[in-house]
Amino acid sequence: MKHLTAFAVSLATLVAMPAMAQDRPDNLAALGPPPIPADNPMTPEKIALGEKLFFDPILSGNNGMPCSACHAPSAGWAVQDKISFGYPGTTHWRNSQTIINSAYYGKLFWAGASGSLEKQARSAARGGVAGNGEDDMMEARLAFVPEYREAFTDVFGDDWPSVRHAYMAIAAYQRTLVQTDTPFDNYMNGDDAALTDQQKRGLELFTGKANCAACHNGALLSDEAYYNTGVPPYDGWEDDPIAQITFRFELFAKGSTEEMYRSTKDDPGLYFRTKQKADKGKFRTPSLRYTKYTFPYMHNGMLETLRDVVVFYNEGGGENEFSANKSELIQPLGLNDDEIDDIVAFLESLSGDEILPEEPDVPEMQPLPVADNN
Amino acid sequence: MLKKLTLICSLLAGTAAMAQDTVPIPPMDVDAARAELGKRLFYDTRLSGDTSLSCASCHSPEMAFTDGEALSQAYTGAAHFRNAPTLANVGYRDAWMHDGRLGTNLNDVAREMITETYLMNMDMRIMQERLKQDPKYVEMFAAAGMSEPGNGGARNALMDFMKTIVSRGAPVDTGELSDAAMRGKGIFEGKANCAACHSGVRYTDDKPYNTGVPSNPDIWADPARHSAFVTYAKFMGVENYMNLREDLGAYIRTHRPETKRSFLTPTLRELVWTAPYMHNGTFATLEEVVDFYDAGGGDDPLKDARLKPLGLVPSEKADLVAYLEAMSGETFDVDQYVWRDDDYDYELIEDWKNVQN
Repeated sequence: MKHLTAFAVSLATLVAMPAMAQDRPDNLAALGPPPIPADNPMTPEKIALGEKLFFDPILSGNNGMPCSACHAPSAGWAVQDKISFGYPGTTHWRNSQTIINSAYYGKLFWAGASGSLEKQARSAARGGVAGNGEDDMMEARLAFVPEYREAFTDVFGDDWPSVRHAYMAIAAYQRTLVQTDTPFDNYMNGDDAALTDQQKRGLELFTGKANCAACHNGALLSDEAYYNTGVPPYDGWEDDPIAQITFRFELFAKGSTEEMYRSTKDDPGLYFRTKQKADKGKFRTPSLRYTKYTFPYMHNGMLETLRDVVVFYNEGGGENEFSANKSELIQPLGLNDDEIDDIVAFLESLSGDEILPEEPDVPEMQPLPVADNN
Repeated sequence: MLKKLTLICSLLAGTAAMAQDTVPIPPMDVDAARAELGKRLFYDTRLSGDTSLSCASCHSPEMAFTDGEALSQAYTGAAHFRNAPTLANVGYRDAWMHDGRLGTNLNDVAREMITETYLMNMDMRIMQERLKQDPKYVEMFAAAGMSEPGNGGARNALMDFMKTIVSRGAPVDTGELSDAAMRGKGIFEGKANCAACHSGVRYTDDKPYNTGVPSNPDIWADPARHSAFVTYAKFMGVENYMNLREDLGAYIRTHRPETKRSFLTPTLRELVWTAPYMHNGTFATLEEVVDFYDAGGGDDPLKDARLKPLGLVPSEKADLVAYLEAMSGETFDVDQYVWRDDDYDYELIEDWKNVQN
């Protein structure tokens, strides 16, 4: 990540040199290529395998919930609803995040519970309100697909497909799902005409008066730190019994004292990782890229449009159960309607074309060849 | 208890003059409120991950708590590699599952069924919260002396309900054996020596034997079944599980080669309700089972040495079947064993923010 930032900064410096027509903010940057971990190098074969697995329900408990169920390309590689569906018979408790540009995050999930895309894929496939799969079973199923036997041997040298390798292939595929040519990127790379005048005013406000860039900075427009901004609790907990079930399950499963389990009525977020009271209600600053397609917004989808989000911050954020931990950075901004529109226009420049690849054919399980029990 | 019953049974069996074959199996000691709670849980599909299966899906009261399939259906996306056994008198067993891998109590059996990935695939932490969302359960757990719905309590309740499933009114218990059945009894205990393993009031010694039951090819032909089997074999620590094309039975817990392909003696109670037969449902009728043992069992190098061709003539086989049928009692499809109300609802917790979780 440090490497990337350095890269982005030097790039920004380079492109800013010749024209100097317009200054570029120094705390934002165009997006470069994603970091590739040394222990999971990219190959075309691995990416192709990961693509199939991403769309294949085989990595779930009921052989019915592919990654793409809750990260649907046609829905911004997410779910265009407040809360992700969850496994049949359940509902999830947080908003589904887009896969696009997930390659750049150091930690995944809203509270940073996973340290890599590889680990995130495993957690999602296994979680009781997500894929509800079990590794032994998913691995067994992979072995019954001739195409996978061949691909896992080619890519990983497996005798039989290893489910850990499946998660690695999925992560490799996800590292191809990036968008680095948005109007904003083009602008940062030197094309003065890439942003409209309104968007440029929005950018000025974004880094200035509205101070969005205090947290939404760098090439990802996220500092990857955790804040409580006073997002109100998910309203489904008031009127959906299945959401109430999931909420209590999450409190219980993620580790709560009995007192906390009994009394908590909102998502404690980062607290579950640190077990520090001061971290209750904190969530990672999300990237603002590709947000044109990933409505509604916030960790629980409680804000419907980008304009709602800007208005929310203009009013100094909101209130929730853990407001004692609310960031002091969140203050009323005094933006007028035109300024709000300008910021929204700028935010739209952070999304390029919708990424809608043709989905791969998913191979089927077949009987295994006869063997002699020895 | 069992020892005493077996003793009584053998005493009775030795008294040829008595028409009554054995004594009725006595009800087990259970907490009535807990058993009633268990009965409702037994028929509740919300005990499976995707809410598609209840215990009764594969253990239906109409078939003495079996499912009528050779191989049981199992969880969505999977299929089982074994036959669903009857739950009649299940509380009296020494060990459970065809391979005998559970040897503790029915609470553990319930846990295994609910949580196993290819069975009900339930994260019980979710199950607990589901139960708490149903006011009827809140009420029933309280009536059973528990402060609130919980997983341990749910399993205990299922255990108590299962313990209530006891055979009633079989001719072997009432003494109303037909002449054919009486002759069959003689063959069962004598010439055919079925009683060597099928002993006691439940007609089982709860021990594993290799009788050479043929493999069921449907397991290996269906990736959904075979992959469930692989999952099981891998979890049980069987070597070379990908190349297995046979069910190793009790070997998976003993890891002693001589126990390969041995399976627990099944009870012979309620056979008229529980076709097809054997651990893999390979025989459709009792006649086929009798023919199988008449031929000295199947073909297996580890087959129990006591299995020899019996030389039964057709009338003897018919008598034996008549006796086997006389071990079956009344249907379990009665209110005592069936939760009839379709009252499985979640209720919204009003005033959510102010109510304790």
